[in-house]
Amino acid sequence: MFSPWILSLQLILFPLFWRGLYTTETNPQLVLTDPVTTIFKSAVLKGDSLVEKVEILKPIDLELACTWTGNPNKLPNITGYWRKDGSEITNSRLTVQLENEQYNLKRVFRITGDTLGNYSCIFSDTDEAKIDFNVAAPEMDDKKDKPVVAYVGDSVAVACKTKLPPNTWLWYKANGTEQELINATTDPLRYKISVDGNTTKLTVMNLTEEDSGVYVCSAIYNIKASVSRVEVRVITFMEPLKPFVAIVAEVIILVLLILFYERWSSRKSSNSPTENGVHAEQTHKLTREGNNGMDENTTTRQRKI
Amino acid sequence: MAKLQPPQAPQSQPAAPDGGWGWVVVGALFVTSALVFGIIRSMGVFFVEFVQYFGESAQAVSWITSIGLAMQQCVSPFGTALCNAYGARPVVMAGGCLSALGFILASQATCVTHLYLTMGVISGSGWALVFTPMVASVMQYFTRKRSLAMALGFTGVGLSSFAFSPLFQLLVEMYAWRGALLILGGLSLNIVACGALIRPLGAHKAVAALAPGESAWSCASIFHRAYSYLELSLLFQRPFLTYSLAITFFNCGYFVPYVHLVAHSRHEGFSQYQAAFVISATGVTDIVGRVVSGWASDLGRLRLSHMLVLWTGLLGLSLLVLPLGSLGGSYPGLLTVSLAYGFCAGAMTPLVFAVVPEIVGMERMLGALGLLQMIESVGGLLGAPLSGLLKDLTGSYTASFLVAGGFLLLGTMVTATLPHFFSCTDQRSLQRHAHNSKQQNQHSPESGLMTNSISEKLNHIDTIPYSQPQLDRNSLQLEPEVYMPLNQSKTDDATNKC
Repeated sequence: MFSPWILSLQLILFPLFWRGLYTTETNPQLVLTDPVTTIFKSAVLKGDSLVEKVEILKPIDLELACTWTGNPNKLPNITGYWRKDGSEITNSRLTVQLENEQYNLKRVFRITGDTLGNYSCIFSDTDEAKIDFNVAAPEMDDKKDKPVVAYVGDSVAVACKTKLPPNTWLWYKANGTEQELINATTDPLRYKISVDGNTTKLTVMNLTEEDSGVYVCSAIYNIKASVSRVEVRVITFMEPLKPFVAIVAEVIILVLLILFYERWSSRKSSNSPTENGVHAEQTHKLTREGNNGMDENTTTRQRKI
Repeated sequence: MAKLQPPQAPQSQPAAPDGGWGWVVVGALFVTSALVFGIIRSMGVFFVEFVQYFGESAQAVSWITSIGLAMQQCVSPFGTALCNAYGARPVVMAGGCLSALGFILASQATCVTHLYLTMGVISGSGWALVFTPMVASVMQYFTRKRSLAMALGFTGVGLSSFAFSPLFQLLVEMYAWRGALLILGGLSLNIVACGALIRPLGAHKAVAALAPGESAWSCASIFHRAYSYLELSLLFQRPFLTYSLAITFFNCGYFVPYVHLVAHSRHEGFSQYQAAFVISATGVTDIVGRVVSGWASDLGRLRLSHMLVLWTGLLGLSLLVLPLGSLGGSYPGLLTVSLAYGFCAGAMTPLVFAVVPEIVGMERMLGALGLLQMIESVGGLLGAPLSGLLKDLTGSYTASFLVAGGFLLLGTMVTATLPHFFSCTDQRSLQRHAHNSKQQNQHSPESGLMTNSISEKLNHIDTIPYSQPQLDRNSLQLEPEVYMPLNQSKTDDATNKC
């Protein structure tokens, strides 16, 4: 029933507050040692679906406020409820009243490392309109889907970057399902880890074939660690050598073909028995014969005017 | 001399066949220019990897192509001198091996200096031994269709820079930059196969015979031969110097848009995709311009030097107008002027080479090309940094484009000062007809040592109006007799043909 009207609308993102999200305190009355601060996040829905990302650094109280203005029916009362990760939160159903042409729904959630997830507020009429809030730790910037290739005996550098600097960085090497922590201090000849604000770089030196695999960088925030995986492939020099040798063979074959074809065709075309000598001799012979055709040549060779 | 052998079979015509095997050599030039300049233009993919691996700045890494190009241009005279001595085929094949060796060694580099030495010096020298001799070979194979042949050969550059960038990206992803450089070395070896395709036309340039009693390896004779092979006598002749000055001015302005067009588009407020599209469109019109110009100049309506002046003049004008084109944030305006620039820049390229035989003659063309490349490198080295400096001083690219356009127009005017520029006819065609009637009766004792090809005989005619015969003893006897009647016939024919 909403569809034709909704399809013609564009979801407009309301300017968002990020009060206190990146600062240590939001409210001057709160004591600095108070570990849990409150963050307010609101969104306005005009169509029937909207997705928002919320990046959390440490455990906080998060108040999510949804406003829906897109209902053409303008019923005075509709039902609103909340979902977490797809399943409805118990006892969250409320009756929402129409105020100033909009419906408002608000709830406070305590966010810790275990309660991160996808929170949605749903306005339920004959159809459902919802806003999704993806509450998670900050994600890594660059997605690396192609493996990094390196050679045996060489070194390789893998980097990870985030928008916000974490408390620490940790690197792991994945062995099947397990992860093994990489300690650069115990193995300085092989590993080197450098941290520069919101970037970190792992350098693996003296590569061997066993160093192939997935390396995991994890950015430790107060709330949770955010990970990113990179695959490293270690190959020997034999691998590019194969196409190289193939190309060299092709070139040699081509050159031999060209030279033999030339010798064969000039042997075919020369009048007198040719000495199987050097090309220079043959071309000398040809050029000497060319003098006789000089008269014909001059008429064909007309310069541009 | 002329009547020794019975008439030869029609297909073995060594002098400018204008077709037949010549088109195969054009194909070889296509592949060669793709493998030389296409690789240079697509190096950007590797630079990103070098910056990441070696931790050097982008500027330090960009020196690699600068050194490579500088070597290619400065070693050119030696390449053509070797060509004069040993023929084009062995020189091009050796150059191919050398450039491949540079890449193969570069795959083992452990610091950026290694890359300078291998990719810059060694591969650059290889390219020098390859490019100019290849161009000269194509020019020897054609007379009437010379510009078209050159233009078709040079389209290799444009098409390969489209194809090589994704290819290099793929190679780097599969084998990392070391393996990719190794495979690139293998690809460069294909230049050897292209060199094998050059069938020699006539013998190489022969130096004057040794005086009796002089050893072949004495200082004087080595110096004498080097002087002759390098065509250093050209440096004392006004037409050649005029043309090389004009080319240097052209080079000052020619590369500026390639370097600055993207930055200028972004500066004017266009998005990255729009700027990239402008460059791609310019590349396409460059290719089209080359072919059209080659075909048009072979129609013979205008003299080659006149056409060159036409295209370079238009190019200079389009550069002057380029800052205006994007005035008011107009994207179609910028695109139109850039397309015009691309077309004229492409149109100019084959003519720059094709005019050389008109000025110095076919015999000295090889050495002339080499020397020209070396002299014009000054323009290239000057142009881009100067435009960068102007941009830093004034804050926008307008001054750079204006100066570049100014250089091009300056070069156009210098070209107009070439001797016999304002006559309608090409002096050679007149003199050739007059000369050939005398040629039958000539029997010079030294022609046994010298080459006997037709092109050689006709070359002496070509050298007459612009150069003094210095080392070609053959022509010394011909000169005085030929000149007198020519002067009379010249004026008659000139009035008829204009």
